[in-house]
Amino acid sequence: MISLNINQKTYQVDVSPDMPLLWVIRDIVGLTGTKYGCGVAQCGACVVHMNGEAARSCVTKVSRAEGQAIVTIEGLSQNNDHPLQTAWNEISVPQCGYCHSGQLMSAAVLLRENPNPTDDDIDAAMAGNICRCGTYPRIRQAIHLAAEMQRKGIKNKN
Amino acid sequence: MDTNTLSRRKFLKSTGLTGAALFLGCYFPASAREAKILNAAQPETTEIELNAWILIDTSGKVTLLSHRAEMGQGVYQSLPQIIAEELEVNLNEVNIIFAKGDNKKYGNQVTGGSSSVRGSYKNLLKLGATAREMLIEAAAKKWNVANEECYAEAGHVIHKPSGKKFHYGELVVDASKLEAPKNIKLKARSEYKIIGKPLHRQDTPLKTNGTAIFGLDKRVPNMLYAAVERNPRLRGVVKSFDDSAALKIPGVKKVFKVRMGVFSTYREGVAVVADNTWAAIQGKKALKIEWDDSGFEHLSTDEIYKRQQEDLKTKEGLSFRKVGDPDSIIQQAAKKIDVVYQTPYQSHSCMEPLNCVAHWQGDKLEIWGPIQAPDWVQDYISKEMNLPRENVIVNLTFLGGGFGRKAFMDYPHEASVISKEIGAPVQVVWTREDDATQGPYRPGISYRCEGVVANGEISAFKVRMAGQNNGHWMGGKKDIANRSATEGFLKPYFDSMKNISVADVPFETPIPTMWWRSVYASTNGFAYESFMDELAIAAGKDPLELRREYLKDERLHRQIDKLEEVSGWKNRKKNEGFGVAITECFGTPVGQVVKVSKQKDGKIKIDKVWAVVDCGWYVNPDTIKAQVEGSIVMALGAATIHEITFKDGMTEQRNFYNYRMPRINDIPPIEVHIMENDADAGGVGEPGLPAFAPALTNAVYDLTGKRIRKLPFSLATV
Amino acid sequence: MKRNSETAGRYFLPVKTISVLAVILSAIGIMSFGIKNKKGVTKSNIQFENSNRDSIKSVKAFMDVYKVLMSPRCVNCHPSGDVPLQGDDSHLHTMFPRRGVDGKGVYAMKCANCHQPANTPGLNTPPGNPNWHLPPANMKLVFQGRTPHQLAKQLMDPKQNGHKGKEQLIAHATDALVLAAWNPGDGRALPPMSHEAFKKAWTTWIENGAYAPKPSKVKARP
Repeated sequence: MISLNINQKTYQVDVSPDMPLLWVIRDIVGLTGTKYGCGVAQCGACVVHMNGEAARSCVTKVSRAEGQAIVTIEGLSQNNDHPLQTAWNEISVPQCGYCHSGQLMSAAVLLRENPNPTDDDIDAAMAGNICRCGTYPRIRQAIHLAAEMQRKGIKNKN
Repeated sequence: MDTNTLSRRKFLKSTGLTGAALFLGCYFPASAREAKILNAAQPETTEIELNAWILIDTSGKVTLLSHRAEMGQGVYQSLPQIIAEELEVNLNEVNIIFAKGDNKKYGNQVTGGSSSVRGSYKNLLKLGATAREMLIEAAAKKWNVANEECYAEAGHVIHKPSGKKFHYGELVVDASKLEAPKNIKLKARSEYKIIGKPLHRQDTPLKTNGTAIFGLDKRVPNMLYAAVERNPRLRGVVKSFDDSAALKIPGVKKVFKVRMGVFSTYREGVAVVADNTWAAIQGKKALKIEWDDSGFEHLSTDEIYKRQQEDLKTKEGLSFRKVGDPDSIIQQAAKKIDVVYQTPYQSHSCMEPLNCVAHWQGDKLEIWGPIQAPDWVQDYISKEMNLPRENVIVNLTFLGGGFGRKAFMDYPHEASVISKEIGAPVQVVWTREDDATQGPYRPGISYRCEGVVANGEISAFKVRMAGQNNGHWMGGKKDIANRSATEGFLKPYFDSMKNISVADVPFETPIPTMWWRSVYASTNGFAYESFMDELAIAAGKDPLELRREYLKDERLHRQIDKLEEVSGWKNRKKNEGFGVAITECFGTPVGQVVKVSKQKDGKIKIDKVWAVVDCGWYVNPDTIKAQVEGSIVMALGAATIHEITFKDGMTEQRNFYNYRMPRINDIPPIEVHIMENDADAGGVGEPGLPAFAPALTNAVYDLTGKRIRKLPFSLATV
Repeated sequence: MKRNSETAGRYFLPVKTISVLAVILSAIGIMSFGIKNKKGVTKSNIQFENSNRDSIKSVKAFMDVYKVLMSPRCVNCHPSGDVPLQGDDSHLHTMFPRRGVDGKGVYAMKCANCHQPANTPGLNTPPGNPNWHLPPANMKLVFQGRTPHQLAKQLMDPKQNGHKGKEQLIAHATDALVLAAWNPGDGRALPPMSHEAFKKAWTTWIENGAYAPKPSKVKARP
C-alpha cells in the first residue's frame, strides 16, 4: 500500500511502486482532469503540483510521490476561481481544452513565483506545454490578465 | 444528461417533463429541401424523427441537441448562441447535449468541412424564433390580449402596455399545446443582441477544472483497459507472437490478436488487456511479435517524392479543370517558369491520443469516445460486426482535438473487437507512439507548376499534382481526378486567366491518408499561392496588386483592401520581408500577410501575421479569431517544424521529440480581422490555415530572394 | 594584482596565460602571471611540487579529458547559453528550459519536474539524477565552444570552477552527476572512454601540473 496525499485527501493505493503517478491518479484514484499526452515528459498535459512544483506525473513514479503534497487540476481552487481559471474564462483560452489542465498547473507555478511575469518569463515557464489547437497567444494574454487580477486582489473580473 | 437515444416520449418521461415542456424539433419532410419545424410534444408527431431539437422546461431552462461534436471549434458555444438570440434568453440558460450516431435521424453528422455552424444556423434561428412566438402566443392567451402587444426578452414574455410578465417556464405547458406557427420572421442582423458578440465560451469552466469528460476520461463500471501493438508497416498481419513476458506483468489479464478495419483494408495487432492503463502499456512493450509484411510495398520518403516527380516529368494526368490552351503557349514560349513544389506528409497528432471505450453486450454494442463521425462509426461497425444499426450505440465525449483524424473508424472498431473478445467493457488507449506512427496522414504531394508571363500578364498557368487521393480510401473512383485538386485556390482565377489548367497525376502508396485540417487546401494553397508570387515577380508586379488584378470580385477586393490597410503593406520598410497569400476553402476566403526580418544570428524571425477572414454571417467573432489563430499556429508547425517521413515502410517519427510541435516561444503576434457582410455563413475551423505557409515563404523571398519550394523548411537555416 | 588563493587551497592557483586571456582577465580586473614554456603549453605558475610537474604528460591527459567533457553527456549541461542541450547531436533542449539562478530551472520548468532521481526507462525519456542541474548563473562553467586551451584554463580558475581547489577538483571526477554521464539512460551514447579511464586522465592532468594545451592545438567543437 502506498499512501498518497492528493488535493488534501489521503488515498491508500495498492499499485506497483513503479507505476507513474499519472496512471495512479487517473485509473486508480479516479481523477481524470490530469491528462495523458505523450508519456515521456514532452508535452506537459500531465502536470500536477508536487510540493508546489510542476511535476510531470507521466514520468514521476508513484513511489516518489508518496507522502508528498500532490495537487491536481481538480484541486487548483475550490470554486474554479484561481485567478488563472478566471482569466482563462475571460479570454476564452481553451479550444479542445485537453492540454489546459497542464497549462494551468504550469502557469500557477509561474504566477506564484513571479507575480508580474514578462513575455519572456511566460516563455520560460510555458515552453514545456504543447497545445495543438494553438491557443498560445491566448495563454500568454490570460497569464498577464491573471497576474493583474492577482496583484489587484480581484477574484472575478465581472 | 444521457438522453438522445431515447425516444422523445421516453425522454420526456425520464426527465419528468411529460406534457410539461415546450419541445420543438426540426425535420426534413420527404423530398423537402428545407427543414420544417414541429411541436414535438404533440402525440401525432412522436414518430417523426427529428434532426435537431430544443426543449424548454418549466424552470425556463433550454436544452439544445447538437448533431455535431465539440472538438475545439466551439459548437458548444456557437450553437446555443444562435438559439439564444431568436429565443430571447440569456446564453447561460441554454444547455447543449450531443447527439449519438444516427444519420437516418440527424443527417450527416461528420464534424468536418468546417460545417457545424454554416450547415445548421438557419434551422436553429428558425427553431428559436418559432419557440419564442409560441411562448408569446401562450402568454397573450393567458392575458387575453393580442400577440402584437407582447414581446419576449431575457426568458420572459412581457405585455407592453401593462408591464406584466411571465417567465418562460410558466408558459411552456400552454405553449406546448399550440401549433407551431409558419412563416416566422427572423431578426435582421442589426437587431442581434447575442449573435455577433464576442461572448465567452460556455465550455471554458469545464476545461479549467478537470470536469470536462474527454474520451480518455470516460469510465464505465467494470471497465478494463487495453493497449495494442499494431503492425508498424501500417498494413500487414501478425505472423506469430510471444506473450509470456506480457502475461507476467501484474494487472495484465489477457493477450490476443486483434484485427481492425482501415477503410476497406485491415490492420493487425496484438491487444493486451489489463486492469489499468499502465499495466496494459507495459504488457504491450513486453510483447514479442513477428509480422508478416508481405504483399505490399515498403516505401521510404525519398522514393515517394522521386516517383511523384518522375511522373510529373512525363505524365499529363487526369484533367480537373481547363480553360483555354495553356499547353501550346507553354510549348511556344521562349521563357517559362517550370518549378516543382513539395509538401510533406503530416500527422494530426491531437493532444488527446486516439482512444475508445466499447462495451459488447451480446446483441448490442455501446461505444463512447472522441468521435468526429458517429454516424459513420455506427454504419461501419454494424456491418463489420453483424449488428443491426440501431444496436450500435455511439456516444460522444468532448474531443481532445480532431483535425480529421477522429473521423476515421479504425479505433472504435478495434475497441469493439476487443470488447467482444473479452466480453467486458474496455477502454483502448493509443499511446502517443501509436498515434504518431499509425497514420492515416495528410498525404505528401508534389506539384509541377508551369507558367508564362508576357507583357506583364499571366498568359499561361498550368499545374499538376501528384499525391495520394484521400477519396480512394473511401471507395472513390480512380479514373477521375482528385476532386480537391483546386481546393484552396480562388475560383475567380479561372475567369481572369485565359489559359489555365489543373490536373491530377494519380499516385498511390500503401500508406493510409486522410483529411488533415483544411485538407488539400493546406498543400494546394502553398503550391498555387507561392507560384502566383513567382508569376507576380516575373511580371514585375506587386504581389498584392497582382491578386487584385486577377481576382475580379468586389467582395474579394474589399478583403484585399482591408489586408493591405491593416498590414501596412504599402509602407513596408527596408529589411522587412512581406508576403501575401489568399486562399479559400469551405466557403471562406482568408488573406494573410506575414512580415519577417533577419535577426543578428542570421535566423529568420516572423515578426507578425495579419489575417483577414470573410466568412459572411457569423456567430461569435472571438471564436472565429481563436480558430484562425489556432490554424496559423498549426500551419506554422507544418511549414517550419515537423513532417512525417517513412523508412522501409515504417513511420520514423514516434512522439513529440521527433515530431516536434510549435511551442509558446515560437509564436509571432497574430492579428485577425473579420469582414462584415450579410453573405451566407462560411466555414471557420479550417479556412485560416492554408494561406499561412505561402504568405510566409513569399515573405522570405521578399526579404532574402530565396524561394522556398519544399516544406517544411527551417527558419534558422534559410 | 595577484589572486589570492585562500579559497582555492594552498597548492593551487589558476593557470593563466598572457597571450590569450589577458584581455578578458584584465577586463575583469585580474592581472595575469602565466609563463609560457618552450613547448607552447601553459604551466601552472604556483606551488606544484616539482617532482609532479610534467607538461607533456599533463597536456596529453587533458586531451583525453577534453574528449569526454565535449561529449554530449557532458557538454549538454554546460551550454554556452542559458538553455541546456539535448541528445547525441547536442541540439537545444526542445522545451527551452532555462538555467535559473541556481542552475535548477525556473518556474514550471525546473529540471526535477521531468528529470527524476533515476533514469526513466525507455528511449527518449528523461535521464535522471537526484541532483540534476546546470552550473548556476554565477558560475556557468561553459564547455560548449571552448578550445582545449580555454577549457583547461577555465577548469583551473577557482573563479570559474566553483572555487574548487586541487583536491576538490580531483574528487569531482567521482561526483554523482559526473558519474551520471556513464549511466545516460536508454539509447544515449556513452562518453568516448570508460569512467575509469577518464578519472585516470583527469587525475593525471591535474597531478602533473594541470597544464593547458597551447591555444591553437585543437579546434573547439561548435
